[in-house]
Amino acid sequence: MKRTIPLFLVFIFGIMGIIPFIIPNPIVQGTDEFVRNNLLKILAAFALILGLGSLLKVHMDKIRRRRQNWGYSWVLIISFIITSIIGLFGGVAGTGILPTTIGSFSFDVWTIYFNVEVPLGSTMFALLAFFMASAAYRAFRARSTEATLLLASAFIVMLGVLPLGERISPHLPSFAQWIMEVPNVAGQRGILLGVALGALATALKIILGIERSWLGGGGE
Amino acid sequence: MKIIEILTKIDRRIIYLILLIAVIVPLLFPSPEKVRVMPPVEKFYYAIDKIPEEKALIVDFDYAPQTAPELDPMGFAILRHAFKKRIKVLVLSLYVQPLGLARNALTQVVAEFNSAAQTNADSIIYGRDYVFLGWQVGPILAMLSMGESITNFYKVDYYGNKTDTLPLMKQIKNYNNVGLLASLSGSDIPKYWVMYAQNRFGLKVGAGVTAVSASEFYPYLQTGQFSGLMIGMRGAAEYEEMIEKNLNIKSRKKASESLPALTYAHLVMIIFIVIGNIGYFIKRRKK
Amino acid sequence: MNISSDPWIWISALLSLAIFSFLYRDNPFYKFAEHIFVGVANGWAVTFYWHNILVPSLFDPLFRQGQILYIIPFIIGMLYLTRFIPRVSWLVRIPIGIYMGYYVGVSIPATIQALIIKQAQGTILTPENFQTWHAGNMGIVWSVILFIGVLCTLSYFYFSKEHRGILGTASRIGIIFVMIGFGAAFGYTVMARISLLIGRLQFLLGPWLGIIQ
Repeated sequence: MKRTIPLFLVFIFGIMGIIPFIIPNPIVQGTDEFVRNNLLKILAAFALILGLGSLLKVHMDKIRRRRQNWGYSWVLIISFIITSIIGLFGGVAGTGILPTTIGSFSFDVWTIYFNVEVPLGSTMFALLAFFMASAAYRAFRARSTEATLLLASAFIVMLGVLPLGERISPHLPSFAQWIMEVPNVAGQRGILLGVALGALATALKIILGIERSWLGGGGE
Repeated sequence: MKIIEILTKIDRRIIYLILLIAVIVPLLFPSPEKVRVMPPVEKFYYAIDKIPEEKALIVDFDYAPQTAPELDPMGFAILRHAFKKRIKVLVLSLYVQPLGLARNALTQVVAEFNSAAQTNADSIIYGRDYVFLGWQVGPILAMLSMGESITNFYKVDYYGNKTDTLPLMKQIKNYNNVGLLASLSGSDIPKYWVMYAQNRFGLKVGAGVTAVSASEFYPYLQTGQFSGLMIGMRGAAEYEEMIEKNLNIKSRKKASESLPALTYAHLVMIIFIVIGNIGYFIKRRKK
Repeated sequence: MNISSDPWIWISALLSLAIFSFLYRDNPFYKFAEHIFVGVANGWAVTFYWHNILVPSLFDPLFRQGQILYIIPFIIGMLYLTRFIPRVSWLVRIPIGIYMGYYVGVSIPATIQALIIKQAQGTILTPENFQTWHAGNMGIVWSVILFIGVLCTLSYFYFSKEHRGILGTASRIGIIFVMIGFGAAFGYTVMARISLLIGRLQFLLGPWLGIIQ
C-alpha cells in the first residue's frame, strides 16, 4: 500500500497530463484546467514550503549539535526571520500593517532584496570570471586535434562577438555567426535529440511504475 | 627560456589582478562602441515591432540577480521598445527571485516615459497599458494555464490587485490575445515555453538568454521555434542599437558601454591561454 | 569622485566586497555574507508564498469564501510535511506522486512534438530548410553539413555497438562537430562571466564611489 498508492497516483495523473494534448473536448480541457489551478498549484506551493522547512531544519540541527561554522547558521536564520517578518507584515509593496519607513529610510522587503540579495548574488557569479581566467590559463591545452578545434572555435567566437572582431576582419563576425548556426547547431541538436529520447524513456518508465527510485529507499 | 618558465607559472592572484585592471581601465575611460546588428536580434526586434494593436506582449523576467548584468539591459530595452510603440505589456516571472528585478525594470522604464509625457494619453498607466502579473507557483502550470485563461491562474497581480478587475486583463484573456512572449532567462525556461505554450497553443516565443546557454538555443532559432534570439551583453547592445536607430530612443545604453571592457578582457583571456599553451608545448618538446 | 551617502548603497558595496574577499581566500566576511544571502532570499520567497499564493489561492477560497472542496488540496499539500515525521514519512509520496505524475505526463507529448519531431524537421533536406540561412545556394551546402553533423553526432552517442568501420568514422566526425560547438560555447561563456564582473564593477565604481557615470 505504501508503494502501491503512490505508483497508482503517478499512473493516473500521468495519463491526465497526456490526454488533454490529444483530446480537445471542452470537458477534458476544463477538467485539466481545474486540476492544474486548484490542486497542483497548491501542491507546488506546499512543496516549496517543504524545501524551506528542510533548509531551516538543517541549520537548526547544525546549531544544536555545534557543528563547524554553526554560528553562521544563526546569521542565516536571523536574516531569514527579519526579512520574512518585514515581507509578511510590511506587505509586498511596503503597504502592510508594519511600517517600513523611518523618515526617508525605507526598509520594505523589495529594498532589502534589491540592496542585499541582488549585490550578493551578482558578486558570487562575478567571481567566476576570475576562476575562469585562472582555469583557462592552467588547463586549456591543445593536447589533441579535437582540443585544438575547440580552442580555435573558442577564439573565433571570442573575437567575432566584439566590435574588435570586425576591425580584424569584416568577415570574422559572420564566420563566428556561421559557426553558431551550422556546426554548433549540428552538435547541439544531436545532443538534444539524445537527451529528449532519454527523457521520454524515463518519463514513460515513471508513469508505468518501472522507474521507482523516486519512492525513496527502505523496505517500505 | 627563463621568461617562458616564469610566464607559465603565474600566480593566480596576479591573473586576477591583470583581469581586474583590463576590465576597470576601459570603464574609467569609456568609449561606447557601435555594434553590427546580427540577424537573430533583428528578428527579435521585428517580432515585437509587428505585434498587432489588439494583442499584448508578455515579458517573462526569469533571471536571478546572478545573471542580471547580462539580461537586465535586454529587459530595459524591450520595455522601452514596447512602451514607445504603445504595445500592451504583461510582465511575469516563473520563479520568485527574478520578481524584484522585473519590478525594478518596470518602475524605471515607466518613470522615464512618464517624466516626458504631456498628457494622460501619453503616459504609461498601470492596468491600462501594462500589468505586472508577478509570480505564481509551478512554471509548467503557468505556461499551460495561461493558454486557457490568464486571470484564472494569476488571480492577483504582484501588488495584490485582483487581475479580473484590471481594464487590460478584460481584453487580454489568454494566448490568443498575445502577439509574442519574450522570455529573458538564465536557464532552460525559453525551451519550456516552446515545449508547452507554443506546442499546444501556438504562442510565438522570443528568447533573451545568457551567453553561457547560447549555443544550446541556436537549434530552436534554426527551426523557427524562436522568433528571435538575444545573447548576453552583445545581444542587449544590438537591441539597444536597434531601438535607438529605429525609434530614436535615446537612453542609457548600458550594454554598449560595457563592450570596450569586454574586448580587453577577452584579449587578456586569449593571451593567458596562448601563454599557457606555449609553456605546455615547450615542456613537451623538452621531454 | 562622488561617494554615495545612501546607507543602502554602502550596505550593497560592503556585501559585494565581502564576497570578492573570497578571491584571496575563504574568510569570515565571505561566510557571513553568504549566509545572509540565503536567509534574505528565502525571506523574500516566503513573502510571495504567503501574499500571492497561499492567501488568494487557498486560504481565501477555503476560509473566507467557504469553498469547502479546497480542504482536499490543503490536506494533500500538508502531507508534504510528514517528511519530518519518520513514522508516517511514506505519506509524502502521495503529493509527490500526484505532482510528478502530471509533470512527466505533460512532458511526453511536449518532448515528442517540440523536441524530437520539430528538431528532426529542421534537419532534413527540404527547400524550406535551405532558405533558413538566407544564403541562396550556399544554404543547400549548410543544410547538408548540418544533416551530416546531426547524424554523426548521434552516432557518437550510440553505445550499443562498437565504434568501428562506418560507425567509427561517423562518430569521429560527430565529435568534431561537438568540439566546435563546445568551443563556441566556451567563447560565449567567457563573454558571460566577464559581463557579470563588469556589471558588479560598474556598480562599485558608479553608484558607490561615483567615479564613473
